[in-house]
Amino acid sequence: MRAGISELAIKLRNREISAVELTKAYIDAIEKLNPTLNAYVHLTFDIALKAAEQADQMLKEGDAPPLCGIPMALKDNICTDGLPTTCCSRILTGFKPYYDATVWEKLKKQGAVLLGKTNMDEFAMGSTSETSCYGAPLNPRNTNYVTGGSSGGSAAAVCANLAVYSLGSDTGGSIRQPASFCGVVGLKPTYGAVSRYGLIAYGSSLDQIGPLTNSVKDAAIVFDAVRGGDKRDQTSVDYDYGPSLTQCLEQDVKGLRIGVAEEFFEGINPEIKSKIEEAIALLEKNGAKIEHIRLPALKLALPVYYIIACAEASSNLGRYDGIRYGYRTASYTSIEEMIVKTRSEGFGDEVKRRIMLGTYVLSSGYYDAYYKKACLIREEINREFDAVFETCDVLVAPTAPNTAFPLNYKGASPVEIYLSDICTVPVNIAGVPAISVPCGVDAKGLPIGMQIIGKKFDEATVLQVAHFYEQSAGEVIGAYEGGAGI
Amino acid sequence: MNYEIVCGIETHIELATKTKIFCGCTTEFGGEPNTHCCPVCTGQPGTLPILNQKVVEYAIKAGLALNCKINTKSHMDRKNYVYPDLPKAYQISQYDEPLCEKGYIELDSGKRIGITRIHIEEDAGKLVHENGYTYIDYNRGGVPLIEIVSEPDISSAEEAREYAEKLQLTMRYIGISDCKMQEGSMRCDVNLSLRKPGDPNFGVRTEIKNINSLSFIQKAVIAEAERQADILDAGGTVVQQTMRYDEATNSVTPMRDKENSDDYRYFPDPDILRFCIDEAKVEEIRASLPELPFAKLRRYVNDLGLPEATAKQISRYRKVAEFFEGALAEGASVKNAANLIVGTIFSNMDTEEEKELFAVRISAAQFAALVKLADEKKINIGVAQSTLQKMLESGKPVEEFIKPEDLVGISDEVLENLCREAIEANPRAVDDVRNGKDKAINVMFGYIMKKTGGKADIRKAEALLRKLIGP
Amino acid sequence: MAISKAEIEKLAKLAKLSFSDEELERFTAEFDEIIAFADTINQSIEGGTEQIRSVGARMVSFDDLRPDEVMPSLPNEKILSNVEGYNGFFSVERSKK
Repeated sequence: MRAGISELAIKLRNREISAVELTKAYIDAIEKLNPTLNAYVHLTFDIALKAAEQADQMLKEGDAPPLCGIPMALKDNICTDGLPTTCCSRILTGFKPYYDATVWEKLKKQGAVLLGKTNMDEFAMGSTSETSCYGAPLNPRNTNYVTGGSSGGSAAAVCANLAVYSLGSDTGGSIRQPASFCGVVGLKPTYGAVSRYGLIAYGSSLDQIGPLTNSVKDAAIVFDAVRGGDKRDQTSVDYDYGPSLTQCLEQDVKGLRIGVAEEFFEGINPEIKSKIEEAIALLEKNGAKIEHIRLPALKLALPVYYIIACAEASSNLGRYDGIRYGYRTASYTSIEEMIVKTRSEGFGDEVKRRIMLGTYVLSSGYYDAYYKKACLIREEINREFDAVFETCDVLVAPTAPNTAFPLNYKGASPVEIYLSDICTVPVNIAGVPAISVPCGVDAKGLPIGMQIIGKKFDEATVLQVAHFYEQSAGEVIGAYEGGAGI
Repeated sequence: MNYEIVCGIETHIELATKTKIFCGCTTEFGGEPNTHCCPVCTGQPGTLPILNQKVVEYAIKAGLALNCKINTKSHMDRKNYVYPDLPKAYQISQYDEPLCEKGYIELDSGKRIGITRIHIEEDAGKLVHENGYTYIDYNRGGVPLIEIVSEPDISSAEEAREYAEKLQLTMRYIGISDCKMQEGSMRCDVNLSLRKPGDPNFGVRTEIKNINSLSFIQKAVIAEAERQADILDAGGTVVQQTMRYDEATNSVTPMRDKENSDDYRYFPDPDILRFCIDEAKVEEIRASLPELPFAKLRRYVNDLGLPEATAKQISRYRKVAEFFEGALAEGASVKNAANLIVGTIFSNMDTEEEKELFAVRISAAQFAALVKLADEKKINIGVAQSTLQKMLESGKPVEEFIKPEDLVGISDEVLENLCREAIEANPRAVDDVRNGKDKAINVMFGYIMKKTGGKADIRKAEALLRKLIGP
Repeated sequence: MAISKAEIEKLAKLAKLSFSDEELERFTAEFDEIIAFADTINQSIEGGTEQIRSVGARMVSFDDLRPDEVMPSLPNEKILSNVEGYNGFFSVERSKK
């Protein structure tokens, strides 16, 4: 069994291993495996080793925070002062922010050791991480398959033990779906639970940062470290979670009301459906009450998501004009042309598609029929979720309708790929928390994820159910051989 | 052919807050390029705007001063357009839920010019085009603005000017902006169309952008109305377009198209939560407003009995009015205080700005001490004026110039003796007066004033002299 | 609802993007399908007339807004750290071969 964060923390405190030694083990593993897996796109080993030395000092002095000296990774859309942050887009070539994202500021203070920035779909737009300008990361479970996306590099790094944990971002499933494809745990917190300051925006009303880890307990520890209100993000909330969410993990599921909505199971691969049903049966066997509920507006969630996310993205991505940072085209005859050429050369196809869709749904004559309508349906979806959580403590659903796609799978059209977000986007639309935990593999040996969805700011119950399932189901998925081996 | 002018004015005013609308950078004017900047106001990826409370407060103040209804719920929208002076490629503004709506400004004629709305938004940076390069300074980017949109109620160049002037005066009065048109802290866009008298339909309008003085507003309206009238008279049609007023040639010409489409794709900014202002807060802000110049003017005329012209000059500037009212509170008389301010103090101030600033070296109480001597006729008005001038130059109180012993002693008895002396000393003048050369009495006045250092009551002296000289 | 190439070009202009003829053909075809997909929201639920707001129903009060207190700005070198500046300005050559 791979050591979790709390075991590593004990080893570090007992001097069984130093933070520098631990970091070096991860650096070695990255050097060995990353050329194949392409999980990291920017490596920060020098800084990692310095941070590890400082962490050792903090550990020596005692009273070090839980994440002190633990090597980790950040998705490439989380701003890191003086280090490349490119959203895996050509348009941000060479961009080094001169400010830290709040999450990174918090982790740095706790002695976190940053190994590098992880691969992702360009501007977090995609479900396979293949839209990265650095090429796709490969799924460590089977390198003929994608990692999922958009936080594919973050999921691959944790899966292959090239980081103890990583942070990703989730706008429509971008933490949970790659976690599911790579067989790791991914938590998308309540909208507002974690500051978005320094997260390069895709869909501002949906984006949320969260951890990808090897266990539910690790997810709770990392979430504890990064959550909290931030005066630099007005949409963040200083919710009182108590001292630590790890405290809720030891409870069982007896008496908990678990909602199962049939809408979540429509069009789902039968192998996945049966694994989720097995998991539900396990929870029921242990005293949970299964409530069959309906979420009729869910069938509209996908178009609503694409309309809102793309509308916001079309506005958020307007600033990439070659003037203040990043890529600038080589030749032009006017500033207007410079901007158009920079953007046309700097953005990839999927980003352009979404900017175009976003521009369309906001443009005069179409606003009411698309953007405004989508916002109204969003409110309806919220009302349905509110109503469901009157009678249920959590909902259980698949994380994705399918397991990992083969590499370069194009599908029939962009829309077919969009459909794979069907189970995850409703959660972002409603702003509620959800976790993906591994619950088995399909016939090809590819991991399957189960999603547990909670009410706003009730990460405690989500983690509790996920942890109980993880502990009682045992090894549902083979351990990854390789990586740092610690 | 005669046409009726239909004109509305959009005014942008920079608010005098300490910090920018969405970050803590200073709003101070000028500074080396890109030194009043941070990741937020230069639109760096991942940064988020945090709305400044003072901006909301100031906008509400403006709304209350302009008789608006305050929307207790409001939100920010994004106005999307790409231009190098706009670092996020959208301006955060307000579209369908502005802070204030439905107010008015009353002109001297009693006509009301409607205010459609007042909303808050951010200013853009500054571009400098030089040597084949465009240079960008974002110091001004993110400075808070209010945009005040009038109804198309203005029907002459004079009304346009008066509207803008009253607006400027009011905003300065409530202390939310210095409204310096030359420095760009107040900028006006004029919308104008013509129609035949009695025609219920509006004609095609043009918009004259960024006019930077009150007199240019007046001139631009005249020039554009003439231009449009010429087109219509020739049987042509006015093209809807954006114009520029050129002060050198006093003409209005079309602006080069920025190549920006009008489709701004407004939508609510997801980074800024909708905000509410409860009634109590609105009332608190209302209570903090000073009495406005027009209310003061009416009060000065109706209650204090000041002539309209004098009342206007004093009520126009907040600091002057405060000085005046401060002196009254100290017991100074309305008439003498007003006349000394307008006659003596203003003679030291050449520009509007100086009157606006009203940097005098004496306090209202010190001023009142002087005015009271004149009120009690202990000094005459000429002495009051010259003493006030000395006080203004030195910053010293009245006691420095007029000693207590100067004020006593000119009793009726002393004055009568002085009059007798004057008659004895000027027999020829006395004869002249008796022979009907009335002006000769001035010789005796001169004598008395010289002896008393100008402190004698000249009317009393005249009465005494006439009595003594006899018919 | 089919979308024309002209409409795509208009949108591209708004979005400050340009497409080659080949890209335009492909995008127009894809876009048709994407719009049809987006259109599914119009097949159900009658639209209300209420105004939409930023970030759901959450609201803040006047007292929660940021106090007007000056924070230090950043040095000019930082502001220009990702670009070649000129005398403290961001700078763009107006044409370049």
